[in-house]
Amino acid sequence: MSTFAFDKVAEKFPGAVLERYTDRAGGAWLVAARESITDVMSLLKNDPELDFKIFTSIDCVDRLLLPDSDPRFEVVYFLYSVKRKEHARVKVRVSEDDPTIPTITSVFVGANWWERFCWDFYGIKFLGHPDPRRILMYEEFKGHPLRKDYGLRDRQPLIPERPLKDLFRGPGTSGPAA
Amino acid sequence: MSDSPRNPADPFDPNPAEHELEAHLQTRPMEINMGPSHPATHGTVRLKIVLDGETILKADPEIGFLHRGFQKSCENSTWTQVLPYTDRLNYVSALCNNFGYLAAVEKLIGLEIPERAQWIRVLGAELHRIHDHLTCVGAVSLELGGFAAFLYGLEARELVADRVTELTGARLTTSYGRIGGLNRDLPEGWTERLVKTLDKVRELCDEVDTILTRNRLFADRMRGTGIISAQEAMDYGFTGPCLRACGVDYDVRKANPYWTYDQVEFEVPVFQNGDNYDRYLMRIEELKQSDRIIRQVLKKMPAGPVLVDDWRIALPPKPDVYGSIEGVIAHFKLVMEGVQVPAGEVYHATESPNGELGWYIRSDGGGRPYKLHVRAPGFPILSGVPRMIEGKLLSDLIPTFDTVNMIGGEVEQ
Amino acid sequence: MSNDEKKAAAPTPPPAAPSKPQPKNPGFVTFTVDGKEVVAKPGTNMMEAVKQVGVEVPYYCYHPRLSVAANCRMCMVEVSNSPKLVPACQTPISEGLAVKTTTEKVAAQQKAVMEFLLLEHPVDCSICDQAGECKLQDYYMRYDFQPSRLTGEKVMKNKRKELGPEVVLDQERCVMCTRCVRFMKEVANEPQLGVFGRGKHEVIDTFPGQKLDSNYSVNTVDVCPVGALTYKDFRFRARSWFLSAAPSVCTGCSRGCNTWADFFGQDTYRYRPRENEAVNQSWMCNEGRLTYKALNEARVEKNTTGRGPEALVVTAQEAATAVAEKLKGASGVAVLASAALSNESLLAGLAFAKDALKAKAVYVGGRPSGKGDAFLMREDKNPNRKGLEAIARAYGLELKPFEELEKALDGNKVKALFAVGTEVPTDEAAFAKKAAKLELFVAVAQNASAVTAEATHLLGAVSHVEDEGTFTQGDGITQRFRRAYPARGDAQPVWKWISGLRAALGLEGSYGSSREAWKAHAASVPEFKEFNWDKMAPIAQRKPGTGINPLPTGSDGRPAGFREFNARPENAAAVVKGESR
Repeated sequence: MSTFAFDKVAEKFPGAVLERYTDRAGGAWLVAARESITDVMSLLKNDPELDFKIFTSIDCVDRLLLPDSDPRFEVVYFLYSVKRKEHARVKVRVSEDDPTIPTITSVFVGANWWERFCWDFYGIKFLGHPDPRRILMYEEFKGHPLRKDYGLRDRQPLIPERPLKDLFRGPGTSGPAA
Repeated sequence: MSDSPRNPADPFDPNPAEHELEAHLQTRPMEINMGPSHPATHGTVRLKIVLDGETILKADPEIGFLHRGFQKSCENSTWTQVLPYTDRLNYVSALCNNFGYLAAVEKLIGLEIPERAQWIRVLGAELHRIHDHLTCVGAVSLELGGFAAFLYGLEARELVADRVTELTGARLTTSYGRIGGLNRDLPEGWTERLVKTLDKVRELCDEVDTILTRNRLFADRMRGTGIISAQEAMDYGFTGPCLRACGVDYDVRKANPYWTYDQVEFEVPVFQNGDNYDRYLMRIEELKQSDRIIRQVLKKMPAGPVLVDDWRIALPPKPDVYGSIEGVIAHFKLVMEGVQVPAGEVYHATESPNGELGWYIRSDGGGRPYKLHVRAPGFPILSGVPRMIEGKLLSDLIPTFDTVNMIGGEVEQ
Repeated sequence: MSNDEKKAAAPTPPPAAPSKPQPKNPGFVTFTVDGKEVVAKPGTNMMEAVKQVGVEVPYYCYHPRLSVAANCRMCMVEVSNSPKLVPACQTPISEGLAVKTTTEKVAAQQKAVMEFLLLEHPVDCSICDQAGECKLQDYYMRYDFQPSRLTGEKVMKNKRKELGPEVVLDQERCVMCTRCVRFMKEVANEPQLGVFGRGKHEVIDTFPGQKLDSNYSVNTVDVCPVGALTYKDFRFRARSWFLSAAPSVCTGCSRGCNTWADFFGQDTYRYRPRENEAVNQSWMCNEGRLTYKALNEARVEKNTTGRGPEALVVTAQEAATAVAEKLKGASGVAVLASAALSNESLLAGLAFAKDALKAKAVYVGGRPSGKGDAFLMREDKNPNRKGLEAIARAYGLELKPFEELEKALDGNKVKALFAVGTEVPTDEAAFAKKAAKLELFVAVAQNASAVTAEATHLLGAVSHVEDEGTFTQGDGITQRFRRAYPARGDAQPVWKWISGLRAALGLEGSYGSSREAWKAHAASVPEFKEFNWDKMAPIAQRKPGTGINPLPTGSDGRPAGFREFNARPENAAAVVKGESR
């Protein structure tokens, strides 16, 4: 991947770029400052030259067991530009004590579920997220299972069945229950 | 009939008031529950829908019923042991997942696989693309009441599945391929049978095409329903046929060709409307393109090894394992500790039948993945389904849900 | 020689500095390895110096605690002052030297050495004890990774050469690194091994008429980089890659050698010495190695009330209630404390003796003394006598010798005895006879013995590998050990028993873990003031290391033998949690 896109980001938001490097396979990475992730994303998306319009995905890495484990979490963002035929790889590092990041759902609606995924499995809070629920696990689940200190064989107790108040059988007279 | 007072808030009250039974059609919002086990949901997904009459006011897909802890399992198995887990992501096109994962690992290692293995990977991926699209098209037809087309589609699919079984030993959970190539070459006489199968599949596809495409009943429910604009589709992260049906020409095979996709001729069909009908047509057209690719592969595929000859990556041949200390060491270390993938990270995408299948892999230099993120194409697409059906009729939900081809295995990991 | 040197110097460009370069860091030698600068004290071994900057040079014969032999040729590196490759273990470091460890020449050398070593190596991995922690395997995958080119037959040697009572040699597997020979000569000071024969018929053997019968002979198995020397006790008993290792301490004597306790399921399979410069360097004695057996055999895994035929197996809860009831009314309960217990057990146990039993004095139990030597083995066979003394002193408890307890029993002056640990320094059977007269004999015991058979209340205690804790060895060094697996059977840690008894007696203070027991009491012991319990914990092995470290967990990431754990689910989860960090 060429570094053109990130050059542009660095030019526009010099404070937002904490680090830039190239991975083993030649992919260019940009480590963005947490506060400016929304700006970076919006620039990547809206700049006509960059045009990273396809929102690819978000995930998180718990670096607990890696040699470089401070700050602990790395949230990775991937975008794709049809025009440039390449992916943009952006990451934001957050610490264990304050695992919060501004949401980018205002830029990409598609980030909604991925951010819920990161909350569900890593406990990263996305500030301003419109729907901050778990996504694959159930609400009663305690902890965040993809964290490295969550044991492979850890078990959680069964939860009582939920009342089915929110379900109607056929047309009813009252509105939906809360 | 009963003395107990009626509780108006309780919908399950066994003694409803007389007037309620003959009530007019309600116009108040009503919440209904579709799934997690419902004929039209394919996998196990629960849709909480708020209806006003027949109009969907709000839809909230609840997923996770098929969550198996894919990532956690993978982080605790060796790089090769991950392979069977990938079968179960999109279980209708397991080969695409297998090869996609392997391609990502090989990219991280910086490994070039033998040419014949690359060709066979293209062949396998396209074969399962046919398999996947036939299933999708068949299911669309079935759920809209066209049982005949479903049977034709499934007959063709089973023919493909037979060839896949001969190739890999399993109908769905193929686990075919290894880091560095493939675990076995094509079986003897298989290519001839495959050509016959492709001829038959083409015939059956044409049959399906004839039954459905110009069928008024079918087209009326498909045309203009489940529309999403290109802009929104990209925002949600749609890829594959769903995105191309909106007019965005993005196919990983063309944009960033991998394996030998740059050596075969094929077209990427693009439609403009972004509705169910276009998504259906996308798949019919792609079936033809895949057929075209496979026939080219069969012609162009060279002879040669299918696995790299590097004992750090690939298991040594059995005579060496039993007969030499070098072989037994390599075998032991590869099986017990796994392939030592150098520390680093990589994002690699391949085109699976439903779109971009991306892998973000992190290695700490050991025999097991440190982090294995799979960007399943169905996940963002499902997240966009509420947008496509809100404000539309309940009956539009069925074809929409069919044509986005949500597969529980990959969405819920 | 001088001619050679001139030739060697000729092709290198003339140095800018005069013949003796000024040291960059006065008092130190500064040189580079693979472009990275290394600063080391003069005389540091190059192998050790390059480790500082994370450069690894492979080796078989080199051992930091043995003399340099430089006979394996695996550590050859390229240096700027020699046209030929030189062994890193033997080459002195000098100012301005440029060492290269990754050049083609070096790689070719490593490949060649590996090929030669494997040329005569038997196809034994599947039956070899060392498989999984073998340097041949590790280095083959890293430096050789090519098929065999041997077409002829391999040389056959003796595959079962009994060198002594503990060690068996497979001469075919040997790579002739001579670490074992050097160990016996230099460290054990009992030169019993030698090299015989020449060329590919060269073998390690004992000198004629001698046996490898040193008390330190099994260390030769540890230093053996391949599977040639095997320990009779461990031979064919477990596959080492399935074993997990927990950092632990040997309880065989008051030396407190640091160990790895290698375990599978809820059984310990062997101890291996863990490096600690201050205590045991890298060694331990044969006698200590065998003490792991007490962790598996004759354990008190069920709690009983009643003596002899009246004995009734009860749950831990019931046992604690029964004991508490008896202790409530009793007065003049004598207390016996074993010097073989951990500090946490003693802190909790003696505090209980003081608070609940109003004890003024404690009888000192523990194992009888035995043989010691000038190297590692101590005469005192109790791992924690120093700890017991320190704790009793801090609590204001008088320590009375065990003989006084026996006398008191003879004189019927003691009717009730509360024993924290049942190891006795005298004849067990004789003491058991005396203990049979006791009206109340509460015994918290790890291993069953004649003494525990006479207990009216027998409470099973865990061994040290089933709990976290500390021992204070003979020189006053307090050492932490880590938990390997959850408690066997119904046994509980001593602090847990005490915690339950305190609750049953309505006393303040309870502990949820050995850490809490330490935190609750250790502050009052001056000897423990400096000791940071959390920070001193040795790091559990997490990842497969190189060389002779076993996999930390089963190959699937679970603790080894997970399916075999008969522990309760909550214990199992706790183990998993502990492992993953």
